[in-house]
Amino acid sequence: MPGRVTRSIGARALVAVAMLFALTAVVFWCTEVLPGDAVGVVSGQDATPAERDAVRVALGLDRPALERYVDWIAHALQGDLGVSLVSGRAVAGIVSARFGTTVSLLVPAALGIAALAGALGTAAGLRQGSRLDRFLSGATVVLIGTPDFLLATMLLAVSAACLPALPAVALLPPGGSLWQHPELVVLPALALALGGFGSTMRLLRASVAHAARAPFAEFARLNGVRGPRYVRTVLASALGPAIHSLSIMIAGLLGGGIVVESLFNVPGVGYELGRAVATRDVPLVQALSLVVSASCLFILLVGDVLSRLAGPRAPRHADADTAVTV
Amino acid sequence: MESDGQRMDLFRRTRLAAVSAVGVAAALALSGCGASAEAPTETASGGTLRAAFAGSTTETLDYLHGPTALDYVRARLVHAPLCEIDPSAADGVSYGVVQSIDVSADLSQYTLKVRPGVRFTDGNPVTSQDVLYSLRAPVVLKGLPFTLLPSRNFDLDAASAPDDSTVVLPAISPIADGREILCQSMLTIPNGTTEFTVDTPSSGPFTIASFEPGQSTVLHRNPDYYGAAPSLEEIDLFSIPDAEARANALRNGQVDFASGLAPAQAQSLQGAAGISVTSSELPYASYLHFTMDSTKAPFDDPRVREAVKLAVNRDRIVQNVYGGLAFVGDDVPGLGFPSYDQSLPQRGYDPAAARQLLADAGAQGAQVTLTAGPELPGMLETATLIVDDLRAVGIDASLNELPPGQLFADYPAYLAMPFRAGYTPPAMFEPNYKPGARPDVDALVLRARSASDATTRLQASHDAQQLLWQSGDQLGPVFVPNISAARDGVSGVRELQFPDLSQASVTR
Repeated sequence: MPGRVTRSIGARALVAVAMLFALTAVVFWCTEVLPGDAVGVVSGQDATPAERDAVRVALGLDRPALERYVDWIAHALQGDLGVSLVSGRAVAGIVSARFGTTVSLLVPAALGIAALAGALGTAAGLRQGSRLDRFLSGATVVLIGTPDFLLATMLLAVSAACLPALPAVALLPPGGSLWQHPELVVLPALALALGGFGSTMRLLRASVAHAARAPFAEFARLNGVRGPRYVRTVLASALGPAIHSLSIMIAGLLGGGIVVESLFNVPGVGYELGRAVATRDVPLVQALSLVVSASCLFILLVGDVLSRLAGPRAPRHADADTAVTV
Repeated sequence: MESDGQRMDLFRRTRLAAVSAVGVAAALALSGCGASAEAPTETASGGTLRAAFAGSTTETLDYLHGPTALDYVRARLVHAPLCEIDPSAADGVSYGVVQSIDVSADLSQYTLKVRPGVRFTDGNPVTSQDVLYSLRAPVVLKGLPFTLLPSRNFDLDAASAPDDSTVVLPAISPIADGREILCQSMLTIPNGTTEFTVDTPSSGPFTIASFEPGQSTVLHRNPDYYGAAPSLEEIDLFSIPDAEARANALRNGQVDFASGLAPAQAQSLQGAAGISVTSSELPYASYLHFTMDSTKAPFDDPRVREAVKLAVNRDRIVQNVYGGLAFVGDDVPGLGFPSYDQSLPQRGYDPAAARQLLADAGAQGAQVTLTAGPELPGMLETATLIVDDLRAVGIDASLNELPPGQLFADYPAYLAMPFRAGYTPPAMFEPNYKPGARPDVDALVLRARSASDATTRLQASHDAQQLLWQSGDQLGPVFVPNISAARDGVSGVRELQFPDLSQASVTR
């Protein structure tokens, strides 16, 4: 089994690399097709035509698109991601800073989603049809349907009234990083978690309910398995699809948390990608989409592996359990 | 029993002692709290100001390439300006590192005198070589177009520094407004600077202690600054791109000053306790204008252009879009600068006259598309109201709303749009006027800049503005100031084109 898993992971990794190559070409073409380019942004409105041409040459935008793309790929393969067209700063530095910010927001949000979806999904699934289940299902539908900015604003209002100690905006003291100041990400991570746990919770609920109806679960119940051990037994076979859904949700948050990121001033890759497209900063767009896609593919791969590991083992584990009790 | 009683007594006394000890401690603590609440406010000197601006990861210490407002605010605190535009001063400028600017009688040569006693942070004195390099740097280092204004008007290659405190600048062609051009945004940097880092020697009221692009900058007072010593010990500049987040940071007490607020945030902050909203005064307001393409129908007919200007309800724009925090425009730039023609009648709201003009021109029902984007706070909302007003007088107007950044990203396409929004940062009319479209106005502007006596120049400028007012192709309904908010206790912020924090002070 380990050999099979390793080989399938290896195959997935190769496919991922090929996809990333294709993606850089698609993203480059998409940004080229947008009207205008960085020259207009950098020059502003007052520039004379001569000054605009000088800016165009300085930015290298007078070369044909294909030549610029091949140039970028050649440099990227050597690890040089180029400089930002708008500010001249090294792209690698910008991307790594933004990625670090996203990760420090994503990890607490992911833990929050896992905790909320896990606890509420299991509770609702085990008591399917009860009032608790109906209440939780209704509440999650409402949360799924609420837009990000509304959730974030309500959270801000509630925290301002009840928990004034929590900062409304993630302002880092100079020299600090988000890892050193976890209280700054509490509100944005909570906003992301509340908006994101709904679909995973509903999937887990359905999965747990299905597992609870299965023969092995009834057998366990008849054998007097109760409480946490019973929950673990049922959960072990229900987790597979839920882990899958969780990994998709987390991969989506990588680039999709733009609204929460800008409102709480935790500028991550999603926010930066939006700005880079608006300013037509092609090297930055390329690097950011590369990083986002690579991370998404990696998270999905990890999710697949975990859900496969969680899945097939469960029935054997349940058999061993019941065998012991018998 | 007696011993029990004694024990009880002892117990009671111990408990009593404990309770009274706690009570005394609590009283002391409370009085301590009370005492700290009445603690004397910090003296006006010293303290830290935390200010939030709209920055981004593209920030840089290189002010010639810095794309955000925060870059220029930071640069101006760190590098001393040569001089500053000052509409109330005799020469139109107030002097800084440059002590005086003399103009030759034929307006073709400018002589700058460098102030003695100004030093960089590495101890070297500021000489004429540094001033000359500061003027040449935008060309040498290929700075952004807005920094190239002096090089468009002066022949910097032929400029010279005959001694350590004199710079001689020949003008490309005779101009009278050379002082304002030199003082618009030029800062003093050391001769030969090619890179701007935290350690670059600087001459301003503050020095950079730390800089994290897209996050924060810490500035410390420069004890060797030549001018009026700043009151603040330290300024922390925070980069918060989202305007709502900036307002929230101020409301929450995380910052003391927030700049670049949209009218919506300003209105919500106006009621908040402990916070006051300020906006910059004229002439430091951006000119929001809508340009009609007068080479094509229907705007080739001056009656249609006049109808458009009369059809727009400017007061409604100022009230609805800006909550009163804006200035009504009269379709001519440069409001608030000394050469603005005060005698121009203010165009009012006259939809009946507009309908009549359209009927005379046979342009009722003309199809017109206004293109705008959220490039300036209120631009899209103003464009929406304009389209409403135009429809009300019979023009079939529609709004083409662009996403952020796209309006100016494709400049040739922008110039081809029949009816387009745009804005100019606060700037004088004559030096920034682009010739080519109207030869009659071009000739007047040239005379306004180069005639030998002041009365002729002013008259020519007024005549040019008259022509633009009567038949120009721009609808300029409003001038938009920069809106900031500060918590009570912050004072001394000068709202120029960008906020100047160098003379601010903070009391807690």
